[in-house]
Amino acid sequence: MKHLTEEEMIEHYYSEDLYKAEAEIHLQACKQCAQTYEELGKLLGHVRAVDAPERGPEYGAQVWQSIQGSLRPYPPKRKRSFFMWPQFAYAAACLLFLVGAFWAGRLWEHAHTKTLVASNPQQTKERVVLFVLDNHLDRSERLLVQLNHAGGEEENTGFPLQAEARQLLSDNQLYRQSAAQTNDPLLNAALDHLERVLVEVANSPDQLSTADIERIQQEMNTQGLLFQIRVLRTKVSEQKTNAQAVTKGANI
Amino acid sequence: MGNDDYALIRSVLAGEKDAYGLLVARHSQSVFRVAFRITENEADADEVVQEAFLRGYRKLEDFDARSNFRTWIYRIAMNCALDVLNKKRSRTVVPIAGEYDSEEATVQLADRTAGPDRLLLSQEIAARRQAAMEKLTATERIAFVMRHMEDRSTDEIAGALGIAPNSAKQAVFRAVQKLRQSLAPLWVKS
Repeated sequence: MKHLTEEEMIEHYYSEDLYKAEAEIHLQACKQCAQTYEELGKLLGHVRAVDAPERGPEYGAQVWQSIQGSLRPYPPKRKRSFFMWPQFAYAAACLLFLVGAFWAGRLWEHAHTKTLVASNPQQTKERVVLFVLDNHLDRSERLLVQLNHAGGEEENTGFPLQAEARQLLSDNQLYRQSAAQTNDPLLNAALDHLERVLVEVANSPDQLSTADIERIQQEMNTQGLLFQIRVLRTKVSEQKTNAQAVTKGANI
Repeated sequence: MGNDDYALIRSVLAGEKDAYGLLVARHSQSVFRVAFRITENEADADEVVQEAFLRGYRKLEDFDARSNFRTWIYRIAMNCALDVLNKKRSRTVVPIAGEYDSEEATVQLADRTAGPDRLLLSQEIAARRQAAMEKLTATERIAFVMRHMEDRSTDEIAGALGIAPNSAKQAVFRAVQKLRQSLAPLWVKS
C-alpha cells in the first residue's frame, strides 16, 4: 500500500488535492496515515489567525489623512473628442495612406499614359505601313504565282495580269521610295526587283504569249522573286503581330 | 460595489483626488485585517495599509476596469507586507536554533489538564506558533496566511505574490512543514 506523502496530506487538508476521493479511501483504510493526518489537522487547527485589533470607523479617514499630503492630483483629462480617439487616428492614417496610394497611382498612370500617347502616332503609322505593305506583297505574290504558272498555258494570259501589274507598279514605286529611306536591304532589293518585273509585265503587249512569259520568268528570275516576296511577307507578318501586341500592352 | 469603486477611480483620474479618500475609507479595514494577520504587528500593519493605498494611488492609471478594486488593492497590500517583512527580517536576527526544546515542551505538557497549566499551555502554543511563524520566509508566511487564514486558493496566492501556482503551493507546503516541525512535539504526548 502506498502511503500518502506529507504534501498530499496538506493538499487534502486544504481540499486542493486532485484525487480527493482516493485519499479519503486510503485514510479510512490506513491507520498510520489516518493518525498522521489527524495530527496534522490538530496542529493546523490550533494555528488560528491572530485577532486583529479593532479599528474604528474613522480608521479610513485617518489613513487618508496620513497619505493625502503626498499624493498629487491627477491632471484633469480633457474630454476626448471623437477626433482624439486612437481608433480614429488609426483609421485616419489608413485612409490617408489609401488616398495617397490612389493619387500616386493616378499620377504614375498619367505620366505613363503621356509616354504612350506620345509614342502612339509613330506606332500607328508603323502599323499602317506594315498593313499596306503586307497587302501589297500579298497581291504581288499572287501576281507572281499567276505569272509563274502561266508559262504552261497554251493561250495568252490576257488582260487581267497586265492590269494588275500596272496597279501594283504605281504602288510599288511609292513603297520602294519609302523603303529606300529605311535600312532594310532585303526589302529594298525585293521591291526593286519586283518593280522591274512589274514594269516588264505592265509594258508588255496586250496579249502576253507563252514565250513572252517564259522569257520574263527566265530573265527576271520570277521564281527567286516569289521566294523573296514570301520571305518578306513572313517578316512583315511578324512585325505586324509584334506591333499589335505592343499596342494591346499599352492600352492595358 | 465594484461599479461604485470604478466610478470613484474615474473621478480620481479626472483630477478629483479626494474621491480616493472614499476608496481608502471603504477598504482600509479589510486591508488592515489581512496586513495584521501577516505581520502580526499593529504598527507594521498600519504601515502596510498606508503604503498599499499610496502605491495604489500611483498605479491607479494601470487599474484594469474589469478588475475588482478590493482584489487589486489586496494584492498590492500583499506586496507591501512582503517588503515590510523582508525589511524587518534584515534588521532582526532570528535565532535559528534553541527556539524549540522538545524536553521543555514535554515537561510543560505533562500536567496540562490543570486549569492554570492549560492557560499556560495556550500561552506556550501561542508563543511557539509566533516563533514558528517568524521562522517562515516572507513568501511562505504570506502564502500560509492567505491559504490557512484567508482561505484563498492557490491561484489567488500566486496572483498576489506574482509567482507560479506551483511555487505558491510549495510555499504553503514548506510553511506547514516548518510549523509542524516546531509545533508537533506539543501534541506528541497529549
